[in-house]
Amino acid sequence: MAGEGMSGTERLWAAIRLEKTDRVPIVPTLLAEPAAHLAGITRAKVAADNALALDAILQVFDDYGGWDSIYPGSYTPQQLQASNVNPMKVRIPGRDLPDDYMWQLVEEEILQPQDYDRISEMGIDGFYYQDYLGRISSLSTDDVNREILALFTTFQRFLTECQKRKVKPFFMGNGMHPFFTLSLMRSMVGFTKDLYYHPEPVERAIRRMTADLIAHQIPLTKESGLGTWLFTEERASGYFYPPAVFERFWWPYTKQVVDAFWSEGLVTIFHLDQRWDKNIPYFRQLPRGSFILELDGNTDIFAAKEVLRGHACFHGDVPAALLSVARPEDVHAYCRKLVELVGDDGGFILGSGCSVPCNVEPGNFKAMLEAGRGARG
Amino acid sequence: MSQKLSDLLLALERDAVLETVKGRLGTNEDPLRVLEDCRSGMTLVGERFQRGDFFLAELILSAEIFKDAAAIIEPRLSRARADHSRGRVLVGTLMGDIHDLGKNILITLLRAHGFEVKDLGVDVPPSVAVEKVKESKAHFVGFSALITTAFPNMKQAVTLLQEAGLRGRVKVMIGGGVTTPEVRDYVGADFQTTDAMEGVAYCLKTTGGK
Ligand code: B12
Repeated sequence: MAGEGMSGTERLWAAIRLEKTDRVPIVPTLLAEPAAHLAGITRAKVAADNALALDAILQVFDDYGGWDSIYPGSYTPQQLQASNVNPMKVRIPGRDLPDDYMWQLVEEEILQPQDYDRISEMGIDGFYYQDYLGRISSLSTDDVNREILALFTTFQRFLTECQKRKVKPFFMGNGMHPFFTLSLMRSMVGFTKDLYYHPEPVERAIRRMTADLIAHQIPLTKESGLGTWLFTEERASGYFYPPAVFERFWWPYTKQVVDAFWSEGLVTIFHLDQRWDKNIPYFRQLPRGSFILELDGNTDIFAAKEVLRGHACFHGDVPAALLSVARPEDVHAYCRKLVELVGDDGGFILGSGCSVPCNVEPGNFKAMLEAGRGARG
Repeated sequence: MSQKLSDLLLALERDAVLETVKGRLGTNEDPLRVLEDCRSGMTLVGERFQRGDFFLAELILSAEIFKDAAAIIEPRLSRARADHSRGRVLVGTLMGDIHDLGKNILITLLRAHGFEVKDLGVDVPPSVAVEKVKESKAHFVGFSALITTAFPNMKQAVTLLQEAGLRGRVKVMIGGGVTTPEVRDYVGADFQTTDAMEGVAYCLKTTGGK
């Protein structure tokens, strides 16, 4: 890596600020399962213990020569339930599935129509912990506290380990868009029916959840000192819904959230899975530099760049299919294309499209890193 | 009258569609005609979707309405006529993957377009899928995937179909958000999509429908 003039953190922030960098910053979304695969540990082990998940991520970071900022990934599926991130039933390898399986969520109508107004009244956390969690898991209050403590303890160690490696976590605060959370709780088909046939309670719940999200996540994000937080939406794009739904149930709340964070100088990392081609122009309405778009390979990132050139930084988007079944030279070529067309004027962070797949070919993962290291930003 | 049923479906007027269906069956109209009118509604929905005027949400809603309407109509159809279908399709999610959302949407849409569909379920071993193809004499078999670990099993299913001498008589489709044309080539499938309606269109085209 001769000739590199910037530290990983400098490089990352230059990209976020839409400035040129010495080379493109690299941040693969290496979560526990692909890390376990690359480190030679079973999926069941990391699904049961987030300290092992962290070990696996760090081991891969060290074995593969490192990158510019580490994507937080040291959590178990059970902890995602306990911390109100994945509000669904979950099947876990080693517990409900064979050891070498990927953990998986079950799409079921858990939330009932009358629950929307309970969310509006109780707030999402009150509703989630006092009622909903018992419908998707058998976690007791003690279990929840234990899981959250384990998350916290491992995150502290994660910070120390990052410091040793002279890099920072990509973000700490992490929230789901209320629209997305409700879709997962109610199931996609049920939620869609509600949006079309009984929209008012849904709207009330989204309004309340947006206020809750801002109130909870801003202090957390400020405390982390990182300046970024992750905001996830995977079921609102033009792949799923027409502009009328998007404009009524998604966009106004999104703007409200981004503005609230930006007024505190905090940058929103949008994690946008699925095809957003039709929605990209809306993002021009957000303040320049206030957000990053993390795309998963389904949105045409090259076209999106032209719409948002000089306005927002992009992160991604090497497709999961490419990383799992293509050849290293294909991965390399795709990354070079990204760097040349999306990273030509800065404002680009190279990474996987959504998560590195849990059966990634080691040679493909290496090819992605090498393509980034050899490329000027 | 028939015009109206398809228009109501196109307008996603769930209650009105079901009332009209019940009303027409109440006058002893041929149930097959009522079903055909619902199917024309679905064809109109499909056309709007392909023009980009309808979205996945509207496909899902119309297919759900169709499902409810068909549940009222089908018990009235005589057995032979109920079996009348455009083709037989098997659909499943292969071993390693237990997701069924995309698969279920595809099944509802295929049925709404007149195909006879057998749901193989999730986490299906490739050998079992191939066994079912053999038993059912299906024209199509579709594999759905949400995670990449399903790809090697899709490939294996295709190999097993070849070994059993069945590959020539069944079209293999794969779909789901993670699939790509490269995955189709890797698996050796005939068709790949991330859009259930395209899958329906492929089946219609292959069986000579429009
Ligand atoms: C929403 C979503 C989630 C949600 C809910 C998931 C759930 N229900 O299980 C949440 C946030 C909870 C989630 C969690 C995770 N996810 Co996720 N998720 C998605 C996302 C964005 C969309 C899935 C979805 O809801 N689609 C909606 C349905 C309707 O679409 P569909 O399945 O594609 O089906 C349509 C068509 O494809 C077609 N179709 C489907 N099958 C077939 C078959 C045939 C024959 C035909 C013709 C058509 C057809 O019909 C449907 C209608 O058109 C996908 C991205 C993607 N590209 O798919 C990632 C994705 C599936 N997730 C991924 C990952 C990694 C995860 C996590 C592991 C992340 C983590 N560690 O936290 C967890 C694991 C959970 C799991 N797998 O169960 C990866 C999987 C990569 C891999 N290794 O394979 C994906 C592919 C994203 C990516 N590019 O990396 N996820």
